[in-house]
Amino acid sequence: MKIKLNKLVVGVGASLAVMAAGAANADIKIGIAGPMTGPVAQYGDMEFSGARMAIEQINANGGVMGEKLVAVEQDDVCDPKQAVTVANNMVNEGVRFVVGHLCSSSTQPASDIYEDEGVLMITPASTSPAITDRGYELVFRTIGLDSMQGPVAGNYIASLKPERVAVIHDKQQYGEGIASAVKSTLEDDGINVVMYEGITAGQKDFSSLVTKLKQANVDFVYYGGYHPELGLILRQAQQAGLDAQFMGPEGVGNKDINTIAGDAAEGLLVTLPPSFDQKAENQKLVKAFQDKGEDPSGPFVLTSYAAVQLIADGIEKADSKDPYEVAAALREGTFDTPIGEVQYDQSGDLKSFDFVVYKWHSDGSKTPVK
Amino acid sequence: MHDVMYFLQQLINGLTVGSAYALIAIGYTMVYGIIGMINFAHGEIYMIGAYVSLIVITGLAVTSPAWIPLVLLVALICAIIVSSSMGWAVERIAYRPVRGQHRLIPLISAIGMSIFLQNYVHLAQGSRNIGFPLLIEGGISLGGSGGGFQANLSYMQLTIFIVTLVCMTGLSLFISRSKTGRACRAVSQDLKMSSLLGIDTNRIIAATFVIGAALAAVAGLLLGMYYGSIDPLFGFIAGLKAFTAAVLGGIGSIPGAMLGGLVLGVAESFTSGYLSGEYKDVVSFGLLILILLFRPTGLLGKPEVEKI
Amino acid sequence: MVAQNFRHALFCAFITLIISYPILGLNLEARGVSITLTGAETQTYVGIALAVVIVFLFQLFRPAIMETLGQVKAINPMINREPMPQEKRVKFERFALILIVLGAMFWPFIASRGAVDLATLVLIYIILGLGLNVVVGLAGLLDLGYVAFYAVGAYTFGLLFQYYGFSFWMSLPIGALLAATFGFVLGFPVLRLRGDYLAIVTLGFGEIIRILLNNLTDLTNGPDGIGGIPDPTLFGMEFGRRVKIEGNTSFHEVFNIPYDSAHKVIFLYLITLILAVFTLLVIRRLIRMPVGRSWEALREDEIAARSLGLSRTAVKLSAFTIGAFFAGFAGTIFASKQGFISPESFVFLESAIVLAIVVLGGMGSQLGVILAAIAVTILPELAREFSEYRMLVFGAAMVLMMVWRPQGLLPMTRVHINLKKQEAGVTDHA
Repeated sequence: MKIKLNKLVVGVGASLAVMAAGAANADIKIGIAGPMTGPVAQYGDMEFSGARMAIEQINANGGVMGEKLVAVEQDDVCDPKQAVTVANNMVNEGVRFVVGHLCSSSTQPASDIYEDEGVLMITPASTSPAITDRGYELVFRTIGLDSMQGPVAGNYIASLKPERVAVIHDKQQYGEGIASAVKSTLEDDGINVVMYEGITAGQKDFSSLVTKLKQANVDFVYYGGYHPELGLILRQAQQAGLDAQFMGPEGVGNKDINTIAGDAAEGLLVTLPPSFDQKAENQKLVKAFQDKGEDPSGPFVLTSYAAVQLIADGIEKADSKDPYEVAAALREGTFDTPIGEVQYDQSGDLKSFDFVVYKWHSDGSKTPVK
Repeated sequence: MHDVMYFLQQLINGLTVGSAYALIAIGYTMVYGIIGMINFAHGEIYMIGAYVSLIVITGLAVTSPAWIPLVLLVALICAIIVSSSMGWAVERIAYRPVRGQHRLIPLISAIGMSIFLQNYVHLAQGSRNIGFPLLIEGGISLGGSGGGFQANLSYMQLTIFIVTLVCMTGLSLFISRSKTGRACRAVSQDLKMSSLLGIDTNRIIAATFVIGAALAAVAGLLLGMYYGSIDPLFGFIAGLKAFTAAVLGGIGSIPGAMLGGLVLGVAESFTSGYLSGEYKDVVSFGLLILILLFRPTGLLGKPEVEKI
Repeated sequence: MVAQNFRHALFCAFITLIISYPILGLNLEARGVSITLTGAETQTYVGIALAVVIVFLFQLFRPAIMETLGQVKAINPMINREPMPQEKRVKFERFALILIVLGAMFWPFIASRGAVDLATLVLIYIILGLGLNVVVGLAGLLDLGYVAFYAVGAYTFGLLFQYYGFSFWMSLPIGALLAATFGFVLGFPVLRLRGDYLAIVTLGFGEIIRILLNNLTDLTNGPDGIGGIPDPTLFGMEFGRRVKIEGNTSFHEVFNIPYDSAHKVIFLYLITLILAVFTLLVIRRLIRMPVGRSWEALREDEIAARSLGLSRTAVKLSAFTIGAFFAGFAGTIFASKQGFISPESFVFLESAIVLAIVVLGGMGSQLGVILAAIAVTILPELAREFSEYRMLVFGAAMVLMMVWRPQGLLPMTRVHINLKKQEAGVTDHA
């Protein structure tokens, strides 16, 4: 027993020493969580590229309150299960501020942990309203909500006056959330929704679905989900001779959809955040991305940049590194970021955020339609 | 007429996927027939076949349509070579040393190999979905001129039927006529006895792995192009399906694998066509369980005599 | 001989080149809207070349290398050691188990929060491993769908909490019993199948459960899973910063100590430890009871066991149900630890990992299963820096273990009376 006690004392001493060393290191850790691998890693690339650039530039300008920002990057593969592990890792590593996660279904369970452990998080990409409607104190986002995006898409579809509309989704929080928002908008507008069905993410064979769509004689298909599945649906629909207009949310607006769907992607309608990289005041930043060989035009690059900047500005404004005080500062202030002037409401949502309808082309470019 | 066409279209969809399942199922059924193990890594061999053919197609960069048949042929041959080598190597490294052990040992080894190969491709090629160009475009419309629902048989689907048919015929001939084929049959009946009679059983076992892998590579090219994208994980689920097909038809029986594949493909297609796409996997696995409970030897399997 | 060897070596080297070059050396990359082929970095080519040369040399000098390796084995003093006498061995095993449990009790007070968190996961895998050990190791029933019962336990807690607000302590027995019921009901029809057929049916069952969880969106929330699952409470005291469920009190407020998120982790760890020890003791008792003996009897020789009057169905069913019971146990703890469950947590790989634990540990051996669970869970975490490679290494390790040490780390030996020595009578048709 004596030996064990000794060991215990040594152990405690060692861990205290480690903790002390940690405290002496005065950097501010910024967690960045998103998919580095997996089927939607493209969006993760956008997130990491934007957040890294912000950290780099803030450090180059002397950091925050004289301290440097250090990125702690973790891969959640957009899988809810791994998101929970990542969130716990972040807490274990002593991170107090997180940019992420990306997919709504990952952000939701991770935010439970962050709120519980006193970590402030800003998601640059998750649009599901459920994330911020639980009265959490430390959860913010730099993007709009499905409840803003759904009506934009739904009203646009209604303006085209299609006769028979099908709404398909991937059953995940993001996809199904936006699909149901679109569906209810369409029904309010008196449009005939003849089909509302879920598919399984990761599935490859959509021939039966396409046949069903064809039989239902639809002339418009809205898909809530990500590009790997929609790309296949587009391509298999073209092959089967289904003649309908397709539309999707920002989760499909990615050049990879062209590599999968080929010319079937021509004319696809997509709702996206406005192209912040086209704004005149962001041109210097855009140049910085291009100098690094990165592309700032993705929908989540500048929202991620803004998320890091908001954390930094919040810390400066609160004059404290305590997440609760930073959260309070964020709710009070007005911040000038690449995505425009940011103000938060009580739930942690942006007071205003626009979505724009674009037409996607087979060369990967897009043109606004309204 | 409308409903008949719909039925026909779903049947075509089902048979297309079903024939590809059958091609993969051959690998499971032959290996099981000979050494009585489930080759869990077989789905990965199929996935590697799809990757290699895409690499070749991309590398040759088709410019004019006239070259397409040649490019496809080259891709097919390369995929077969790489997949067969992989099948040979897998057998050599992971299965031969553990042959004859308790039957859990090869199974674990196979699962380990499957995980290894998945991550091998994942590390080398990334985990994203990569688009597979459609080189065989166009199709034939069947019936119902003017309005109404038209069933559509694309040339891609036609190609899948024909290639499967050719492969299966070739395999049947090979098994029934050639010397190696005869040896295969002998080994599957009694491994020890055939080795006593002078058959190099190691060689025959390796040959079944190579043949199975080659057919899986063919399926990889066909299904990759038919679906439109590939990723390192897509072999696993296809492998499970093909394995189900093999059991359905009667594991160890080659005609059984073909029948099982087609039945499974059609069952899936009708489930998604008439019920809901979400439950097609439930139906295929449910079918598997029912078959095993009420007819454990599958549709075409020989009844097994319990040896004491 | 030499010429043949040379040809074989050349062939092997060539195969190595074929299976590595196209996949490693030519990378498909999406550039804009088209896919291009790019070459890999130089070091990849060097690696491929090196692999080819190594395979060539190894195959060329294979007989010599094998001989040298044989000598190394002969030098190893452990190899010729007499197996430990039975009484000593039993004592040793008991001593080792007690030591492990004691060590585990002190662990949370010396380790960091992350390490305790990981240790909880290890304990969950130990419970799973011990449970599956009954089914596979002792009763010899190959179960590839064990994760289904784990899922039943986890979802029982998740759903009971979501709809009726059940707490951890109420759900724990319900989850385990429900999983056991599932095992019982499933076991009835399938247990008459033998060997591999049983494996396939259980695999299919595991997949069906997962797909149903994924698709019954109204009930289970589909792929989004169930979140906000509460932690266990201690006599109504919660360990969170704020009390979530009405009527509960907060641990740090009752004891008037500052809030520390580590309390929660440590408490969960200790509960899991107690449940793991409980599992260990129960199964340890069962092995020595008639029911445990009959499991092994049936595994060793079904026909002989039946002719001695054992009911095949009853024996198999008891093993299957008990295995499922502990999986349900582990599932409930897992749900509480994660606070979130989704169908993704219950994929086939999970079944494979638990099976690997049982086989690596040496089928039937409890100490072996515990050591294997520790190894299988911790090694990938230690290799976090090589996180990209960890599953690759995991797969390779599974293969290599089966090739080099198929009997596992600590093969099980029964407490037995030595009769006249006899050849091990395992006849195999292969």
